[in-house]
Amino acid sequence: MSRLAWPGILLLLGSLVTPGAACAQREQAPERQVAALAERGHVAEAEAMARAGGASLSVALGDILVLSGRLAEAELLYAVAVRDHLPSYRSAEASLAELAARHGRLAEANTRAIALTRAFEQGTRWSAPDQVAAARGYVVLGLTDPQAAHAALTVFDAAAALDSSNIDARVLAANLLLDKYNGPDAVETFKSALTIAPNNPRALLGLAMVQAFEGNPAAAPGAQRALAQNPSLVGAHLLLARFNLEAEAYDSAAAGARRALAIDSSAMQGWGILGSVSWLVGDSAGYRSARVHAERINPQPAEFFSAIAEAAARQRRYDDAVRFGRLAVAADSTSAPGLTVLGNNELRTGAMDSGRSHIDRAFAIDPFNLWNKNTLDLLDQLKQYVTVATPRFQIVVPKDEADYYRIYLGPLLEQAYDQFAARYEYRPAAPIRIEMFRNHADFSVRGIGLAGLGALGVSFGRVLALDGPAARPAGEFNYGSTAWHELAHTFTLGLSDHRVPRWLSEGLSVLEERRAGRGWGANATVDFLASYKGGRLLPVSRINDGFVRPAFPEQVTMSYYQASLICEMIEAERGPTAIRDMLRGYAEGLDTRAVFAKVLQTTPAAFDQRFDGWFRKRFAVALENIDAWDGTGPLGGTYLAAVADGVVLLKAAHFDSARVVLARAQQLFPGDGSTDGAAWYLAQVAYAQGDFATEATELAQVTSHDETAMEANAKESEAREREGDLPGAMAALDRLLWIAPYNDSTHLHLADLAERAGDWARVVRERRGILALNPTDRLEARYQLARALAKAGHREEARREVLQVLEAAPGFEKAQTLLLELRGSGGGNQ
Amino acid sequence: MGVPPVARARLIALALVLLLSRPLQAQGKSGGVHVLLVTGLSAEPQYARTFAQAASTIYDAARKGWGVADSSLIYLAEDPTRDSVRITGVSNRETIQHSIELLSRQVKPGDIVLFFLVGHGNGEGADSKVNLPGPDPTAADYRRWLTAFPSQSVVFVNASSGSGDFLAVESGANRVVITATKTALERNETHFAEYFARALSGTEADADKDGRVSALEAFNYAHAEVAKYYTGKNLLQTEHAMLDDNGDGKGTADPGSTEAGDGRLARRLAFGGAAASTDPRVIALMKERRLLEAKLDSLRATKATSDSTSYQKALERLLTDIAIKSQAIRALQKGDPR
Repeated sequence: MSRLAWPGILLLLGSLVTPGAACAQREQAPERQVAALAERGHVAEAEAMARAGGASLSVALGDILVLSGRLAEAELLYAVAVRDHLPSYRSAEASLAELAARHGRLAEANTRAIALTRAFEQGTRWSAPDQVAAARGYVVLGLTDPQAAHAALTVFDAAAALDSSNIDARVLAANLLLDKYNGPDAVETFKSALTIAPNNPRALLGLAMVQAFEGNPAAAPGAQRALAQNPSLVGAHLLLARFNLEAEAYDSAAAGARRALAIDSSAMQGWGILGSVSWLVGDSAGYRSARVHAERINPQPAEFFSAIAEAAARQRRYDDAVRFGRLAVAADSTSAPGLTVLGNNELRTGAMDSGRSHIDRAFAIDPFNLWNKNTLDLLDQLKQYVTVATPRFQIVVPKDEADYYRIYLGPLLEQAYDQFAARYEYRPAAPIRIEMFRNHADFSVRGIGLAGLGALGVSFGRVLALDGPAARPAGEFNYGSTAWHELAHTFTLGLSDHRVPRWLSEGLSVLEERRAGRGWGANATVDFLASYKGGRLLPVSRINDGFVRPAFPEQVTMSYYQASLICEMIEAERGPTAIRDMLRGYAEGLDTRAVFAKVLQTTPAAFDQRFDGWFRKRFAVALENIDAWDGTGPLGGTYLAAVADGVVLLKAAHFDSARVVLARAQQLFPGDGSTDGAAWYLAQVAYAQGDFATEATELAQVTSHDETAMEANAKESEAREREGDLPGAMAALDRLLWIAPYNDSTHLHLADLAERAGDWARVVRERRGILALNPTDRLEARYQLARALAKAGHREEARREVLQVLEAAPGFEKAQTLLLELRGSGGGNQ
Repeated sequence: MGVPPVARARLIALALVLLLSRPLQAQGKSGGVHVLLVTGLSAEPQYARTFAQAASTIYDAARKGWGVADSSLIYLAEDPTRDSVRITGVSNRETIQHSIELLSRQVKPGDIVLFFLVGHGNGEGADSKVNLPGPDPTAADYRRWLTAFPSQSVVFVNASSGSGDFLAVESGANRVVITATKTALERNETHFAEYFARALSGTEADADKDGRVSALEAFNYAHAEVAKYYTGKNLLQTEHAMLDDNGDGKGTADPGSTEAGDGRLARRLAFGGAAASTDPRVIALMKERRLLEAKLDSLRATKATSDSTSYQKALERLLTDIAIKSQAIRALQKGDPR
């Protein structure tokens, strides 16, 4: 939200603000004392003081009661204050409006807020606290009228200008800014509050909330700092509980929510967290109890249902998120969070029209929501996309890339479906929707509503969204393996009824990538092994934390690989049935401990030990030759030292010596396929010595372990071609096509190799691929396709193709000859 | 099924238009093409190489592919010693002017004059220039010099950086003007020359596969390849080539896309192709083939309104007949009597 001035209000303020207001504040000193006690969490003392103050402190007493969830009693006090124009009655009126809104009585809330703000607009000599009250009135109006939020901000600012010591004006303004997604301005305003009231708990909490909003891990310590100043600060307890919920630490989340509710039982967010935890762990009684409490506060608790919908979506249970989103919207059809969570999850489950309609409505109510704006812009973009249909997929792609995807991605997805269906004995309902984005920013918006998502693909179950090859520079990622990975989620999510924990779903997807046999999927690296040895990676029982709250950035990618190894071990020891049974166990509502007990007859702790032993045995040689690493300083060990020695010799052109040293290095870490490993350099030595067979073998070590090895695949293809290994040369180029698909020279070369190998089906595919890339010489490309079709035995199709070529270019000599050949009236090879 | 008289008349008229719009001639070895290649000051070795590469590529194509006579092929460069076989003289103002005068005395009505200029551009509007050894001629100077070819078709190509403003200045009747950039303000290094030269020297740009590369085909090819170059390298495209051939001084980036706009003259001016045969049998077969091609043009004009099956049958019959005639022509030209 911009801090644009609201001219009408500013003009009004010019006539309202008078020096007399400061005198009124001095008279309210006891009220401030009560507030100060409450601010530090001394609620009982504050209440006692307020009660002792009689009518003059009844509003302050009401505020204390609100803090401790005694809303009915507070409402009574406020009503009397308003009726009798007791001191701070305008604040009481604002509180009544806020409480009515909390209870879902929006009409009453609006009536009170309108009365208050009209009085402000027509009145004179409003003190700073009264202006804060008016601003709070505008905030209530802002629940249904976006313009009122601008007015609220302006009046908060005016109150702060009138009384620079008024902490409420600043904190509430900052809260409003944050509520309207303006993190930077919120931070500045919270900081300005802290300059006049250092260590103010609400301001400290506000800063932590902004950090949470920005995904900054410093948010949790920030909330703790706020709690240190006020142990009864409900918002801080709730923020920490929310973090635990997001990190799937359900016990801690519930405990945090209960701590907050013990202080203020009317905190809807607390019931939302408790309800979410109960629902996620299958505690239906707990869920019902939370819902009953929520309904006591607000009989139509849209906020409660929205919170559970969000929690469900975070657990990838998108159908359930839609269900709760619908409950939220049924409770309050004007709930922007409800409409947003419903719309977003409809989009994730492929209900595009309905999803758009709900996001549209949410954005009309809350036009500050950047996520919704981005999503609506993206949906406009998607109108320009087309759908490529295959038997079980709808591939949604930019129009000019559709032909290419039809040729390459469509068959890959169908192949993957068959493989996964056989392995998991589960067939997701068709069609599965897969969206391929030309721009990474668009993909990111599809994933999280904002630019900046680091991932390459997301799976919502039967809807997948991916970066298309053009979204990133060639060589940065493998779009084939990404699609393969995301589609594997469709199966593991589906078979587990979307209850599979993140580590297992990701582990299986990475394992499936490796099984594809194209050099895809993560593999062991020096960093990974050194980190494992250095204790930086988590045991199986806690590996989920490596995904949802990583201790260091690389822990996420390392956890992917580690999880795939866990799956590999389970399968190796228990067979594929064990994996299926685990997924089915989750579908039954079992947690990981129960799944381990039922399927693997072990406990997570015992499994940790077993995996560690398996791991150390599997990588025994490499672990001996790679030093443990704590994340600081350089990596070390005999393997790296030997590679470094070999590189020195290679650069000095001492090829024989380099070969000996690097071959020895290779034995210290067999299987290192990285592009700074022994195999890579051995390939260079072999090339320099003209030993192309060895070069190809060493390069294969790289290309079979590094799915983005663009250069290595190109070199391997050349080496194999030199050695006359046409199938090997073609396989390398095939791999290259998933890394850098839009390089027409790769397709041309592959077509040439296939022709030399007599593999006319592949020639046809490559000629179609070249055409899909919209070559400058389109007629030549079509002629070549016609020729390949003819050679592949598709004479009728070839005839149709060549006729179209000649229709455009009747004098095209080669095409004329082909036509005559196809009609049996001409001869000769082309 | 008969064709209504009015529709038939329209078809006949259309066929005539299509026949008339064929290239002026298969320029081939006929001697109707004259070429002046000028490369400017390079400043850096890499530019010297790229300018020379483009000019020498066109030079070789003209010499070997189009059969342009030595006297009609002039290549001027900043350093003639760089390639004494091809380069005729220094690319300064006097030599360019003299070369144009020389060519103007050799041309015949209907001939094509290709003027290819590449270098670093500067200035704006009529004062736009290409850096040359000595004083730089302005766009206005080139315009004045080109009046020496009143009854010829001139293809004026300025592939230099910042060449865009030449377009309006050189625009005129019977003239194709091509610039590597849209305006004088696009002053970064250009890649248009390289692709334009490649277009003229090979078969890749021959979009209609008639064995000749027209000025339009060369432009479209270079235009597309330049765009691919920038896309492939993830770079912002800093050159946008333009073509004007209807004399209005307003270029277009996609000539030939509409009948009314730029591109009609450029489509007709073609380079290369086989030499005209003097064998009466070949001449007779070519005449027969032209008649078939005219029928094909007429057929294609009815595509939108025809029954698809009957159209395809007629199309295949005509294309086969054309192919058979072409095969016979080729056989005779190769000395195969079949």
